[in-house]
Amino acid sequence: MIRMLRDLWLFFQRDLRIASSYRSPFVLELVEALFGAATFYYVARFVDSAELRAALPQGTSYFTYTLVGVVFFDYLNTALDSFDHSLEEARDTGTLEPLLVTQVSLPVILIGSSLYPFALTTLRVAIYLAWGALLFGFPLGAADWASVLVVLATTLLSFAGLGIFSSAYLLLFKRGNPSKWFFLGVSSLVGGMLFPVDILPHWLQVVAHLNPVTYALDAMRGALLDGAGLASVGKPVLILLVFALVLLPCSVAAFSWALRRTKITGTLSHR
Amino acid sequence: MPDFAISINGLEKSFPKAYTGWRAVVQPFAAPSLMALSEVSLEIKQGEAVALLGVNGAGKSTLLRILSTLLIPTKGTARIAGFDCVRESRAARRQLGYHAGSDLGFYARLTGEQNLRFFGRLNYLKDSLLDSRIPVLAKQFDLGDALGRQVRTLSSGTIQKLSLVRALLHEPKVLILDEPTRSLDALAAGDFRRFLKTEVLQRRGTSLLFASHTLPEIEMLADRVAILNEGRVVAVDRPEALKRKAGTGTLEEAFSKFTGHSGHSLEEPRS
Repeated sequence: MIRMLRDLWLFFQRDLRIASSYRSPFVLELVEALFGAATFYYVARFVDSAELRAALPQGTSYFTYTLVGVVFFDYLNTALDSFDHSLEEARDTGTLEPLLVTQVSLPVILIGSSLYPFALTTLRVAIYLAWGALLFGFPLGAADWASVLVVLATTLLSFAGLGIFSSAYLLLFKRGNPSKWFFLGVSSLVGGMLFPVDILPHWLQVVAHLNPVTYALDAMRGALLDGAGLASVGKPVLILLVFALVLLPCSVAAFSWALRRTKITGTLSHR
Repeated sequence: MPDFAISINGLEKSFPKAYTGWRAVVQPFAAPSLMALSEVSLEIKQGEAVALLGVNGAGKSTLLRILSTLLIPTKGTARIAGFDCVRESRAARRQLGYHAGSDLGFYARLTGEQNLRFFGRLNYLKDSLLDSRIPVLAKQFDLGDALGRQVRTLSSGTIQKLSLVRALLHEPKVLILDEPTRSLDALAAGDFRRFLKTEVLQRRGTSLLFASHTLPEIEMLADRVAILNEGRVVAVDRPEALKRKAGTGTLEEAFSKFTGHSGHSLEEPRS
């Protein structure tokens, strides 16, 4: 276990070193987040109405609702993208084979390579929320931070399984993953990113409840906007854990099978 | 201690036919039908150097990639220092250093030393060991200031030297090299061959299996030569014995006699 954590840290350190050799992206990220937060604020002001406020959870403005929805939805994007991206990059730069002849297994390489993108997403989320709080009255003081951390951790675990499935697909079929775009599309419609799932037709609400994004955003809004404690977010956190317990082993098994298959077909480093 | 550094027994490898268009969807599941290696058996003693000689497509790289655990054979077994390359792949990798003869495989934005340390740590080398080995190997390979420069600023030949240092860093028992001097200039190639002969083969007693198209390189380094033709080993012996058996004065003529290919076909560029 300690050895695995050490291996994961090596990959994080590698990506941090590579990222710090570029200077401008961090500044651009800051500016982009400012424009993003401002856009949500003015859109929310434009569409604000009594009917809309009634449809949202008690005491939530549309600005805070969408800001949390959109920035935390980014974790799904990162999960579905970072595993694929790290694999693709290793393949394209020719580092995949030298990595595979070391003592470290490919699942560790894959998970290790996704740590930095997740850390970067967390930083981006923090910048968005900080701009929101500084300029547009986002109520950061209301949050229960212990709950936020627990929800975040379970969200990452359940989303990571989806990302590993996606990279198993990439390993086999070499090109962008259509299921990734399908999942992102479905989740942005039924995950509760921009509007509550209660307003959807019944059958779409059923789909929403089969999607971990719905529970992640629900729990995160509760912890961040309502200051909901661990007991209050317990149910969605438990459901997210069930998703993680099912998706993670299944996705690692699918990935291992895909890796073995590419070693048989000789297409491991093919593009 | 196992008797042989490398032991290959009845090895066969077939690849699936490459599909195009819509049929490419079934590519990952296609049955292997194109024979790349057939009934290959070869044993290499501790400290012995064996060269693989064959035209492009003869199966040299396929054989080296199976031994490096990057491919799974269709039939037969391959062992490195007694460890099965499929069932005990991690243990086998611990015993081998692999260099694919390309100038890819490094992180362009990291320095030479950062790259070597990263890969060294993935082979569980301690920092103190890396502190002592990296400068010694860098001096032996005349890497100059390359350790402190980002890899993107290094010449193709220097990157290739760096790749060889990486393969030797964990002092493997078996070194597998696929056209190791392909990107080196004549001077650097000569230095590298002398280094392999004196340091790796004579002083450390490392076993070497390498593919090469350069006949003087083979005659200088190899104790034995295995001639591959259409995936089969058609002759294995000492260079002098091969010439004697073929009744020829040069290795090139012996190669032609055993394979039916002109010696010039060895000089064709790699596809």
